[in-house]
Amino acid sequence: MTNRDELLRKLTALDFYLIDLQLYLNTHPRDAEALNIYNSVVKEAKALREEYERMFGMLTANNPSKLPWQWIDEPWPWQYSFNFDLAGENG
Amino acid sequence: MWIYDKKLEFPVKIRKPDPRMAKVIITQYGGPDGELAASLRYLSQRFSMITPEAKATLNDIGTSVPKLRTFSRLYKTAGRFAPERRA
Repeated sequence: MTNRDELLRKLTALDFYLIDLQLYLNTHPRDAEALNIYNSVVKEAKALREEYERMFGMLTANNPSKLPWQWIDEPWPWQYSFNFDLAGENG
Repeated sequence: MWIYDKKLEFPVKIRKPDPRMAKVIITQYGGPDGELAASLRYLSQRFSMITPEAKATLNDIGTSVPKLRTFSRLYKTAGRFAPERRA
């Protein structure tokens, strides 16, 4: 696993966690424990995202770019080389 | 309304193309009871919700485009199309 794969794996996991927490909090808005977790994961994911973007280019288009415009850089998520392999972890 | 995040909600790395599996996936994606139709239903239903909980939930599951993108990515490589050359 390359450094990029590893960073992307961590960020994907955190973002997935956030989606789940967000949906849970929608129906449990007074759960202090879940809210604490959410708030700390948001910070963690934000830092990781910034690190990823610094090293491997922007993930969303509302970001500053170097010249030339980086948004069109490959690979896109539907291309084989973009994604990392989870199978390696489970054998 | 949406901001494209240049990554998937869940990683997809398919080792062996499987056209039969792809057929199932495309049905779940765009079929009559597929995710695409469900998303749009949630987005319409949210307008008639009363509680803040229900409004937010329908809004958020209706906008779960990441799920759709993961599906389309799955279809692309599982499908009859040859996966792109591995660089």
